[in-house]
Amino acid sequence: MIGFITRRLLQSIVVVLLVTVIVFILLHLLPGGPARAQLGTRATPAAIANFNHQMGYDRPVPVQYWDWLKHLVTGNLGFSVKFNQSVSSLIGERLPKTLVLTVLSTLFALVVAIPLGMIQAVKRNHAADYTITCWAFIFYATPPFFLGVVLIVVFSVYLPILPAEAPQSSSLGVILSQPAGLILPVLTLALVTIAQFSRYMRSSVIENLAEDYVRTARAKGAGERIVLIRHVLRNSLIPVATLLGLSLPTIFSGALITEAVFNFPGIGQLFWTAAQTQDYPIMLGITVLVGLATVIGSLLADLAYAVLDPRVRYA
Amino acid sequence: MSPVVTLDDLHTDIALRKGTVYPVGGVSLTVGKGESLGIVGESGCGKTMTALSVIRLLPPGGRVARGSITLGDTDLATLDEAGMRKIRGNRIGMIFQDPMTSLNPCMTIGDQVSETVLLHRDVTRAQARERAAEVLDLVGLPRAKERLDSYPHLLSGGMRQRVVIAMALACEPELLIADEPTTALDATIQKQILELIDDLRGRLGMAVILVTHDLGVIAGYTDRVAVMYAGKIVETSSTRELFANPRHPYTEALFRALPENVDADRRLYAIPGLPPDLSNPPQGCRFAARCAYATEECRDQEPELTGDGHPFACFHPLGAKEQATPNPHTPLAVAEETAPLLVVRNLVRTFPVTSNGVLQRKIGAVSAVADVSFTVHTGETFGLVGESGCGKSTIGRLLVAADTPTSGSVTFDGTQISGKSHHELRKRRRDFQLMFQDPYASLDPRMRVRSILREPLAIQHRGSAVEQEKAIAKLLDEVGLPGAALDKYPHEFSGGQRQRIGLARALALRPKLIVADEPVSALDVSVQAQILNLMRDLQREHQLTYVFISHDLSVVRYLSTTIGVMYLGKLVEIGPAEQVYTSPAHPYTQGLIDTIPLADPEREQRKDNAGVRGELPSAMNPPSGCRFRTRCPLATEKCAAEEPPMRQFSHQGHQAACHYPLQQPDVTESTNRTNPGSRAAPQS
Repeated sequence: MIGFITRRLLQSIVVVLLVTVIVFILLHLLPGGPARAQLGTRATPAAIANFNHQMGYDRPVPVQYWDWLKHLVTGNLGFSVKFNQSVSSLIGERLPKTLVLTVLSTLFALVVAIPLGMIQAVKRNHAADYTITCWAFIFYATPPFFLGVVLIVVFSVYLPILPAEAPQSSSLGVILSQPAGLILPVLTLALVTIAQFSRYMRSSVIENLAEDYVRTARAKGAGERIVLIRHVLRNSLIPVATLLGLSLPTIFSGALITEAVFNFPGIGQLFWTAAQTQDYPIMLGITVLVGLATVIGSLLADLAYAVLDPRVRYA
Repeated sequence: MSPVVTLDDLHTDIALRKGTVYPVGGVSLTVGKGESLGIVGESGCGKTMTALSVIRLLPPGGRVARGSITLGDTDLATLDEAGMRKIRGNRIGMIFQDPMTSLNPCMTIGDQVSETVLLHRDVTRAQARERAAEVLDLVGLPRAKERLDSYPHLLSGGMRQRVVIAMALACEPELLIADEPTTALDATIQKQILELIDDLRGRLGMAVILVTHDLGVIAGYTDRVAVMYAGKIVETSSTRELFANPRHPYTEALFRALPENVDADRRLYAIPGLPPDLSNPPQGCRFAARCAYATEECRDQEPELTGDGHPFACFHPLGAKEQATPNPHTPLAVAEETAPLLVVRNLVRTFPVTSNGVLQRKIGAVSAVADVSFTVHTGETFGLVGESGCGKSTIGRLLVAADTPTSGSVTFDGTQISGKSHHELRKRRRDFQLMFQDPYASLDPRMRVRSILREPLAIQHRGSAVEQEKAIAKLLDEVGLPGAALDKYPHEFSGGQRQRIGLARALALRPKLIVADEPVSALDVSVQAQILNLMRDLQREHQLTYVFISHDLSVVRYLSTTIGVMYLGKLVEIGPAEQVYTSPAHPYTQGLIDTIPLADPEREQRKDNAGVRGELPSAMNPPSGCRFRTRCPLATEKCAAEEPPMRQFSHQGHQAACHYPLQQPDVTESTNRTNPGSRAAPQS
């Protein structure tokens, strides 16, 4: 098991490196460039050249990449001119907030989606199933930024019971002390995830209910509740666990947009601002982070797989 | 004998989206304490639905519509769901067909067995676990106590079926229902499981309902038998009486379709047509449309199941008066000696086993085929027989160059085909074709029959579109399908019809050799007989050569001129079919023959030998010396030390590889220095 994890982590490093190469090239292909964004549209070519020289942006791209990579190894992700702060401290300050948002919404989504999917499978093709399916499709099809705005309109404007904006503070403690402000962002993120996971859970349970071992359990005299909870649940969670690991980056990037909508001071908002000002170091830093999330997500999926399914053993 | 369970006029229907099916149409039977009742019939006859009605686990939409099921003094037909739950697993235990899927893969076997106990007995978890160990021990799971925390995937099929039996028996039920309990298992394991059920019935005094399609299983392991056809019992009596004196034409037809009762040079009796559609059961006798003796009366009125001791439902029973036997087993022409078509020399196929790491280190090898040599002559049928995992299918793939041997050669019609590139083989491939086991999976579900049959012709550029169309029409006619079949999709056909399509596809390029891998093992006996007859007819017409791969020795014996017996990658015995079958030299062949359940209670109950004990060892670390020695009753130290060479047993090419053969080797031909006769066991 340890050997397996080590190997997977080694593979991950290669994956993350490849991601950074691609992003590095793409960033430098963007028109405009950080100088334009920083100095304004009326900056003279000489000022731009000067800025680029100062920042080292006039050197060949491979050289810049190598330089950036050397710093990355020592944990230095670079410096943001715009924020006048090192990228690592910017990310370090905002990452916990985004994690709170993602983890809360994912947990909430699982707690709702798993029973929902089971109810749908048991009541297959009945009114309850059709109703949940209908809503799942609606939420699945709605872009998160629009869903966020709709929730704000409903719960902050028409029924003013929840704040439209996330708590504004640089401290995580302050944000957690105002849970009301977290409800709408968490809900926005969770609804899409619930929609997706309940669909998977539904088909997984339906598939398992038709398995022979379920008939064996019934032949022992087990009631439907025991069949469902003791036999079907664990078997049905296997594909869902894989899906969860693989959707970790999706949930994470979903948070980027949701944070922008609710002005939540997390990674997403930071990325949003950096993208508008073409702040290379921040964008690269966050990309590495998302790359890591993807790799860790699939590793977690594999581990969850081994925990749930006794037939899977890694050597 | 007091009845444990009594079914009276049981009717079951299943509501489907389109209409209703009536799989059980008035079944009455009783089973007494310690008695074993067999329900036999072909697929779709309602035997499984009858069993599922008793335990009330019908598929969605199913219900017991009419009649009663009395267990002790409870009527199960009208009992509510909560009441039924107290019966299932407690007073009725059930064993299902496929042990590979009937256990929960995510639960330890200890938990699964103790669950039954916990559901019905007022015991603690520890007590239930103790009971689980006790029952697993009873069903012959070695080291049961240590294995309580094993997951099912660590056990072989036979061992899993023992666990399923343990679950069914944990609460000592009055009635055990076994629905095709051994159909998914190998013959040697089948015998062990059936003997276990039989033994437990005696020890626990249970009533047993054994549902099976296999008349051999019925003959050996039941006291009474009910023959079902199209949802009704057509005949029922004691097992001996039924086999000695069948009265219903359907029963007789089933017997005559069995290849084991027919000489190799005779045609099999095939029941024409298909069973009726049970969503709209026919009027009159349900068998009338396929019955050789049917009259107007049969088609108008339904015969009652009447008679004392041996009731049957027929107006024209057998044995009542002299009747001309319709379609006697017509003799077949005998093939002459011909030139060798396929020569296999020292064939070896090893599959490397790698670690699933980055470097894919080789950590072992599965020896699937280990040094196999044989020759197949033009126009003959070479039967390859053995348990699953013995390498017979791997050989099949090597013969048609679908796989490359690790070493050794396959020579077809004078040209070596093993180790050749795809390009070089392209043109040769038309000469050798494959026929597959599963008629459901081997045809593309989205292609019409016309496209399926045209594809090989198009790939090999055989003729113009018009000529291809003609060739397809001829093929269809040859395999006995109507022209209208061309525009249908595979799912619109029955299993037997699909196997005909598979045969037509194999024949499309007019090959010289057809390798048929278990072509009839998914089919019912009557349909099996149709396909076997068809294969023989086509062989004669087109001078075809067959390599027929099967686990079923009686089918192989019937169809083949030469039989090769495989065990764990080795060819252990080879020779003319009759010689190998009637006087085997290798103890494994003898064991295989002994494990075949014969449809003859007299012979079946006289059998006292053990068959083949134990389970197939892993091909990753095959036993040293003779690979069969771990299961062989005659094995000595010599067998472990020295690999037995092939020795001659007759001038007709009967050879076997054994240190202690059951026959005297033909010394005049033998080149061996060893003295083989000293330990030879007398032939049974």
